[in-house]
Amino acid sequence: MNRGSLRWLGLAVLAFGCLFCTDVWAARISEIKEYSILEQAARFFTLRDPSLRNALIGSVLMGVSCGLLGSFLIVRKQALMGDALSHAVLPGVALGFLWSLTKNPLAIFVGATAAGLLGAATVHAVRTTTKHKEDAALGFVLAAFFAAGVCLLTMINNLPGAQKSGLDKFMFGQAAALGDGDVILMAVVTGLVVVILALGYKEFKVTSFDSGFARAIGFPAQGIHYTLMLLLAFSIVVSLQAVGVVLVSAMLVTPAAAAYLLTDRLGRMLLLAAVFGVVAGAVGSFLSFVGHDMPTGPLMVLAGSAVFAAALFFGPRYGIFARWWKQQSRAARTRRENTLKSVYHVLEKRSFQGDSVSWQELAEQRRETEDEARHLGDELCRHQLATRPRDQADLFLTPSGWQRACEIVRNHRLWELYLTNAAHMAADHVHEDAEKIEHVLGEDTVRELERRLNYATHDPHGKIIPGLADVQSGLPSLTRGGRAVGFGSDT
Amino acid sequence: MTAAVTSENPPPLEIHDLTVAYYKKPVLYGIDVTVPAGKLVGIIGPNGAGKSTLIKAAMGLLPASSGWVKIFGEPFHKACGRVGYVPQRESVDWDFPVNVMDVVLMGRYGRLGLFRRPTAADRDVARACLDKVKMLPFASRQIGNLSGGQQQRVFLARALAQESDLYFMDEPFSGVDAATESAIVVLLQELKDRGKTLLVVHHDLATAREYFDTLLLLNMRLVAFGPTAEVFTHEILQKTYGGRLTILSEVAEVVGRQP
Amino acid sequence: MIEPWAESGALYGWILAMGILVGVSCGLVGNYLLLRRMALVGDAISHSVLPGLVVAFMLTHSRNIPAMFAGALVAGLITVGLIEFIHKKSRVKPDAAICIAFTTLFALGVVMTSLIDKGGLHIDAECILYGEIAFVPLEPPVEWFGIAIGPQPVLLMAGVALAVVGLSVVFYKELLVSSFDPGLTTSLGFNAAALHYGLMAVLSVVVVSAFEAVGAVMVVAMLIIPGMTAAQLSSRLPVRHGLVVVHSGISSLAGLHLSVWLNCSTAGAMVVMGALLFVLAWLFSPSDGLVWRWRRRGSDGSGEEGTVASPGGKV
Repeated sequence: MNRGSLRWLGLAVLAFGCLFCTDVWAARISEIKEYSILEQAARFFTLRDPSLRNALIGSVLMGVSCGLLGSFLIVRKQALMGDALSHAVLPGVALGFLWSLTKNPLAIFVGATAAGLLGAATVHAVRTTTKHKEDAALGFVLAAFFAAGVCLLTMINNLPGAQKSGLDKFMFGQAAALGDGDVILMAVVTGLVVVILALGYKEFKVTSFDSGFARAIGFPAQGIHYTLMLLLAFSIVVSLQAVGVVLVSAMLVTPAAAAYLLTDRLGRMLLLAAVFGVVAGAVGSFLSFVGHDMPTGPLMVLAGSAVFAAALFFGPRYGIFARWWKQQSRAARTRRENTLKSVYHVLEKRSFQGDSVSWQELAEQRRETEDEARHLGDELCRHQLATRPRDQADLFLTPSGWQRACEIVRNHRLWELYLTNAAHMAADHVHEDAEKIEHVLGEDTVRELERRLNYATHDPHGKIIPGLADVQSGLPSLTRGGRAVGFGSDT
Repeated sequence: MTAAVTSENPPPLEIHDLTVAYYKKPVLYGIDVTVPAGKLVGIIGPNGAGKSTLIKAAMGLLPASSGWVKIFGEPFHKACGRVGYVPQRESVDWDFPVNVMDVVLMGRYGRLGLFRRPTAADRDVARACLDKVKMLPFASRQIGNLSGGQQQRVFLARALAQESDLYFMDEPFSGVDAATESAIVVLLQELKDRGKTLLVVHHDLATAREYFDTLLLLNMRLVAFGPTAEVFTHEILQKTYGGRLTILSEVAEVVGRQP
Repeated sequence: MIEPWAESGALYGWILAMGILVGVSCGLVGNYLLLRRMALVGDAISHSVLPGLVVAFMLTHSRNIPAMFAGALVAGLITVGLIEFIHKKSRVKPDAAICIAFTTLFALGVVMTSLIDKGGLHIDAECILYGEIAFVPLEPPVEWFGIAIGPQPVLLMAGVALAVVGLSVVFYKELLVSSFDPGLTTSLGFNAAALHYGLMAVLSVVVVSAFEAVGAVMVVAMLIIPGMTAAQLSSRLPVRHGLVVVHSGISSLAGLHLSVWLNCSTAGAMVVMGALLFVLAWLFSPSDGLVWRWRRRGSDGSGEEGTVASPGGKV
């Protein structure tokens, strides 16, 4: 079966990846001393040295894997799982290190991954077998595992003759100390993440969106969850060197959250998150290299937060600024429409004799000063809804202005009528609601209202409801009074 | 699809002595029911009667304490390709970054199996299903920008795209507009006429009689199952909704509190 | 086992006292955090007080206690405000908002510590993460009327613990109601928002006074593990408060012994022992213990995780 063989292929890739990773890690421990010396020297040279190259490549790779996995954490609403797991790997790191002092240095990667998975399983166990909620379960794993890790690390520090070099780097990260081996390891893990997410994209997508449905169509939701946790643990372990235990969660969550604000498609979100991760990683490692004695992790996190802040404020669709702008323009439109309505009312009071209004009339109608009325009138002129010929002081509506004015009045009166007729509200209670509704009624709804109201011609206050023909043909039709022309024509 | 090899056609759904407990508190007691093919079954009962639990347990989404379920004569995990599911609308995050088309395509995932990508043919099916629920113009809309009724139609389109023989639907009429409700009813009838079997959780007693040809009345245990005309009687409804069952839920509470 | 006490009892006595005081004040606040499902807000604040501390130090050029408290308070309230801002102004969910807010502030704090003169502040990576409870007795003792009473951090922590106990007695019913049902709180005439921010302020103060002793991450453990353990054993809040005190006593004492035995971080060992107590309560709680459930299930011979076979079949 094709399906089966693909599954085996995936498993093989996974197994191969694990083996390869541990192999590469072996190289790291032995080289770390040389690189810490090299790193010291490298501070004095600028951009052309291997440690900077490693730092950059490493942060880029980390940005990719963290961004991709973080996206799934965000859409699954498990953002803090990253935080819990990143702390939970610490005892694994320490145990691996402790073991490697006397025996095999390969252990750190395996130990950390195992600790991470144990952490994920503990979260699940606490959640399902106690009354505690998700947050408490995550907090427990985070703190308890971290404490165990701290105990072990301090034990290591106090061991006679033990060299603790590099271990403190796990706390806040030092990208400049990344060795070739680290970078290869990161490349393998990132490759693994990319391959597995690409292979199982639809599985990850459907289980994240609707896990009940995924299980109902026979997908192993639990297995997919743990695959994700495994990849997460891998990715966290290799990122520790660069950002450190405490802040890995930010590399997972922040770029992905920024991407989440910018797109509505999961695929694009993954891409954007990877890009943002790379940007944060690269900027952070660059700053850390330039500044003296600066831990990389916090700088990467701050770079990522800056990206997030930019998306939060300036995102084209969901950004705070964009929404504010939309709100402002909607408010401005409502204001213009209300002015048009006032013009209509003025004309209506004179039974549509004459086709212009003076500032004074407008101001009286709106109970405002003439200056305010003039201001509103100018706004109409700017939007080509009205004109004011140079030799005259009065305001004339343009055809489009007239059309809009009729529409608004029609919407208002139809809605009032609907509320009194269909919802049986008192005639003096409906005005306020109509003031809001008139600006949002769509053309289809208006047609429906007209039909339901039997093409009524007068609103509850006895005023004529302008019809379609008035909207199109300008003033005169209404001056005839009685049944306005056009109400029957659009049946 | 090749014809079934078995000499007799097994029933779409057979539930035997099914008991389900949430944590420790039993919510369904000893359900025994066999649903014949081609029926449109409404699952009716008061709040907390275990309606959703029944269909979730039938699909193995909730572990059963005892009893078994067979779908077309097989355990669920073997027959899941023939089962369509419409979960409650509230069960998913509508902010999720997918559009309408993506969601409907998910209906094809079960047929594709693991690791295979949807093809152009799958897209055509999805498009046809969207058209059927009159949501094709919204195909590229983000799902959060839809009204409740539209969201429900998307879920229905996804179930249609599954091209199943047995459908479980969890409250498809809740929170939808009148137009969507009647569209769903037409759709359900149509599926039934094509020989599909449908089990629909429904909470509105007033419409149950006209929507469904068969009713399953539930209140922690099976009260009645049969053609609507036969079981929609005052006596049976009294049994389902009446207060005589308080002892059952009291016992469940006591069991739930035990260590 | 009594070895540490024989050698330098007073030294360990102060460490033990500090552990218990931290455990009690954190645990009482933690009980409310758990009830309000805000355990991870505790995590967030425990990290994000760091920039507050650093700024306070930069402004006063000394480890001035009121300034540090003020800094932590401001930082804590900024964190809560930031989380709410991100969550309300965008579609980012609260958990992601928590993560973004606290990591940003914490990163800012770490960068600031590495920028300013390291010697003066006395906050380094080790202290931020591990805490220095073992050095507590070495701090200069406070003298009242010429009599040395005890190390300054312990006395400070004692003051904070007293304040927390006092506040949780005075505001017991308000906190209980508002944790249980915010809607009811408002209808009863309490100000739910004020209680919320008040709790956050107390949390910030508790966190900052415990920060130096146990570090940013293990404060979280001190906040929630006692409460979680207590919740396994009782469902009544006053009893939980009592259990929290017992928990911090046992875990501090056992942790101290563990740390002497293993020669490792004292704060870490205290948390490990606290976590162990939780696991014990989880397994053997008289009302809800896992072991009893397993045994029941074993004797019933059926049932999946989290469920127990029901009695009887059809009714």
